[in-house]
Order: sequence, then C-alpha cells, then structure tokens
Amino acid sequence: MDEMMKILKGIRPDVDFENAEKLIDDGILDSFDIITIVSEFNEAFDIEIDVEDLEPYNFNTVKAMHELITKLQDEI
Amino acid sequence: MAMSIVSLKFSVFLAAVFALYFAVPIKYRWTVLLAASWVFYWINSGWLTAVLVLDIGITFFFGRWIGRIYEKGEAEISNDALTKKEKKAAKARIKNRGKHVMTAGILLNLAMLLVLKYSNFFASSANSVLGKFGAGFQLPMLNLLLPLGISFYTLQAIAYLTDIYRQKIKADTSFFKFALFMSFFPQIIQGPIPRYHQLAGQLAEGHTFDYDRFTRGIQLILWGMMKKLIIADRLAIPVAELFDNYGKYHGMVLFFAAALYGIQVYTDFSGGMDIARGISQAVGVNLELNFRQPYFSTSVEDFWRRWHITLGSWMKDYVFYPLSLSKTFVAIGKKSRKVLGQFIGKRLPSFLAMFIVYFLVGFWHGPSWKYIAYGLWNGIFIVAGILLTDVYGRIRSALRIRDDAFSWKVFQMCRTFVIISLGRFFSRADGFRAALTMMRRMLVSWQSPAFLLDGTMAKLGLSSANWMLILVSLLVLLIVGILHERGIEIRNGIAAQPLIFRWALYLSAIVILLIFGMYGPEYDSASFIYGKF
Repeated sequence: MDEMMKILKGIRPDVDFENAEKLIDDGILDSFDIITIVSEFNEAFDIEIDVEDLEPYNFNTVKAMHELITKLQDEI
Repeated sequence: MAMSIVSLKFSVFLAAVFALYFAVPIKYRWTVLLAASWVFYWINSGWLTAVLVLDIGITFFFGRWIGRIYEKGEAEISNDALTKKEKKAAKARIKNRGKHVMTAGILLNLAMLLVLKYSNFFASSANSVLGKFGAGFQLPMLNLLLPLGISFYTLQAIAYLTDIYRQKIKADTSFFKFALFMSFFPQIIQGPIPRYHQLAGQLAEGHTFDYDRFTRGIQLILWGMMKKLIIADRLAIPVAELFDNYGKYHGMVLFFAAALYGIQVYTDFSGGMDIARGISQAVGVNLELNFRQPYFSTSVEDFWRRWHITLGSWMKDYVFYPLSLSKTFVAIGKKSRKVLGQFIGKRLPSFLAMFIVYFLVGFWHGPSWKYIAYGLWNGIFIVAGILLTDVYGRIRSALRIRDDAFSWKVFQMCRTFVIISLGRFFSRADGFRAALTMMRRMLVSWQSPAFLLDGTMAKLGLSSANWMLILVSLLVLLIVGILHERGIEIRNGIAAQPLIFRWALYLSAIVILLIFGMYGPEYDSASFIYGKF
C-alpha cells in the first residue's frame, strides 16, 4: 500500500488519494494519468494490468486499485 | 426522397411512432421502434438500407461466434481434472481464438466503411503520387453513395465486438433486438455513439407512458430545434459567404468567420443531440450526453471531454488505452525513458497514442487532408498543454495569479476558444490549402475590428434584425449554459410550474420556432453538418 501511494503521489501530488472516492467518475484522474499509473504499477509490482481492467470501478479509489493489484498478483 | 429530423414530415412520423409505441402491448413495444427505424432509414436511404442490414448481420454473426467460443471454453476450463497451470493455458488459448474472430469482424466492418467512404480519397492520393512519377495510368474513381450514419454505426459495431471479446457483455441472441440497437432512428444519423450495455436493454424492454418524462422529452426536442433552426441555420448564411469568398475579407473578419462557424457547428450538432435525446426520453430511453457546455472549457483537453463526448470516450476505450498498453508502446516507453529522461520518456507512449487518436478523429470526419489537419491541430495543443503545465504554473506564481481566480478561468476559456476556433479553419474551409491560405491571411492582413460597425456585417446575407436575433439567442444559450454548468436543471423548474404555464411555454416555443426558424420549401430545414460525416 505504501509503495502504491508513493507512486500515485509521484504522478499527481495535488490529489487527495486517501479520501477520494470517485477518482475516475469525477474526472480527477484523466486518461494520461491512468496510463502512467498503470505502467508504473506494472513495473513496481511485476503485474500486467490489461486494457480490460481499465474500468472506472478499478480506479475510483485507492482501495480498489490495491484490490486489483492483489488480484493480479494472485493470478501469477 | 429524404426526411430530415427537423421537418414537418418527421413531426407527423414521430407522432405516429409515439402513438403506436404506447398503443401496443409492452412486450412488443420494441418492434415499433425497430419498424420505425427501418422505415426512417428506408425513406432516407432507399436501397442503401441493404448495406446497413448487411453490417448488422455481419456484426451479429461475429458477436455470436465469439460468444460461442467463450461458452465452449467455459465448459473446458470448468473441468476439475485440469491443474491451475493448464486452466490458465486453456484460458489464454480461448481468449486468443476470440481475438481472431473479433479482429475478423472488425476488419469486415472497417472494410465496408473504407470502401464506401474512403476509396476515392485513397485513389486520388495514389493518383497524385503516380502522376509525380510519370506513371501512365490512374486509379479509377468510384461513384459510391454513402449509407447514412455509417461512420457512427461502424464505431458502435466495433465497440460491441470488442466488448464481447473483453467479456464485458454477452453476445445478443436476438437478431432483431440487436438490429434495433444498431439502427435506432433518433441516433443513427449522427449519434450519440452508444454502447451496447447502456442502450440495448433499454430499447428491448417496453416502457410505460409517463407524462412527466414524455413532456420533458418534448421540451428537449423543442430546445434542440430552436438551436438548430434559429441559430445554426441562420449562421450558416454568413459562414458560407465568408468561407466561400475569403479572398475578399481581411484577417479579423476571417477569425470572426471561424468563431461563427464554431458556434454554428455547436448549435447544429448539439441541437441534433437534444432532439435525439428528447425523442428517446419520450419513450423512456436515455441516450448518453454528447455535450457538456464545451465553450466553457479551460483547455483543449477539457474541450474534448465536453465536446462530442461519446466519440472521445470511444477513442479512449478502443484506441488510446489498447495502444498505450500494447507491448510496442510499453517498449517505446522503456527506451524513451533512458534516452529522454523520466518526464518526457514516461509520457511519450501516451503522446504517440494521443496523436494517433486525433489523426483518427480527424480522418473519421471525412476523407480529406483538411480533416486530418483538424484532428492533429487539436492533438498538438493537447500534448502542448500537458507539457506546458509546469511553465504555466511558474508564470502564474510569478504573476501572483491564483489557480482558482475567476479572471484566470476566463483567460483560459478565451485561450481555448481561440485555439479551437482556429482549428475550425481546417474543418470548414473548402480544402487543406484554402484553410492554410485563410490562416495566412488572418496573420498578414490584420485590420481593425471596425468591420462590426462599418457595414461589412450587413453584406454577409443577414439583416441587422437577424443579427440581433442571433445575439439574443446566444445570450439565452449562454445563460442556460451557465445554469447547467452550476448543476441547475431548467426542466425541473418548468416541471414545478402550474399546468397552464407549462402549456403556454410549449405553445410559445412552437410559435417562436415557426416564426424565427429558417425553413426551405415544405418547411424542410438544412441538413445536419454531422449527418454528412
């Protein structure tokens, strides 16, 4: 979780990731941010987030992102 | 024979559809919409309806094919005798099979679009190259008619097949219900581009008559007609004069022409969307929003999140994301980070994907270099906007301007408006060269803005009373835009008024439309700009 937060803060230091509930639905993160986040997550956690995983519910909250990473790590 | 959605003929057609829809049993109501959609298409396109049906058939067939691959695959994977590793391998194999079928279905759809819409563009581009090399032959030009809405429903079909492949939706099992999703008459000409999971279910289930919903739908139709008939079709006159005879006018007037065209295309397109959404709402179907006050955008990127939203979101899901995450782009990203450093290196794959998206957005509008230039113009400013974020931040802090200051927001909106308007030269001028000449004239032949008062305006085909009417209408549009931006839904306010007030309002709207709308013979109006794309 800490490493994840570090990545997110590195990409968008202006966003309150801890408390945001609708990062995608409210347009806080745009498609550029998503691609940067995904490529950094892939590298840091040795996973492969697929285009099919790019659904708002997977990125709306930090908790959802964490769950996605854990799920993909379990699949390996 | 044609039937525009802003014609008297269409109003009669629509009244008949509404009456029939609510008269048949709920279970069969979708068949009324399907019949209406095909009648509408037939009236407008005649035998080209066959192309639409063929496209629907191909997409339905390939969708079912992918669906069956997954059904069989599920049975295979659920075999308990398989190890985890074997299951994973089987899953990958099945997915791969699905991918091949999806690709074939998409290519067939694209082939229809490319042949019918783009073959002459490719042939003439090839001919000019052949001519330069002194080749003794030329490729023939085909005289093909373009099926109505093909640019829109092809994207719809691609999204459908991809979503089945991505297992986001299941393939439709009813050909006719699927056919309704692909040919729903309010949106087939110019969108909004729907997704299967949002629309198909709503169309297939019957909706009961709801007075409040029905009248809200009618209000939206009237509002859309006002935008189209009072503003867009009126602005079309000076815009045509200025773009057709641009050599006569100096730079300031030409910028004015581009800005006017921007307003024309906005009121034309968003008016058409309001009509499509209003008709759908009247029968209980919600279409996606395609515009969200685009002229309040603070950057070009923001503009494309508010303008033709369903095209942008389609491009994001089916071009931008898959490209950015593709192996090639990821590899480019890794290499570029080493060569160009973290900041640019990290973003380079997204920038490349973004340029491809805006190339496609431009090319999708039409088979011409001017549209490609229009797309890339927007792409360049989006990428520049992102690259310059820090520079802007530094300038702001040096000048002590607060990020949330009203004046800063207004400046950003004006800047975006100018960039977007300049891009309009490409989309409206007769060709790429004409657009460049207009832009050059704009820079070198810059005179005072006195044209607004020196009588030039009166020579553009509209009387001063008509200009005044446009001005008042735009003010109304601006006020409505501000209210929407603040989350105030005007139709809620209308719904809260007494019955007599509401009906007086509807009648006034109709009278205003009849008096101030621009009509041709038999009360037909000019065709929609996006209907031709």
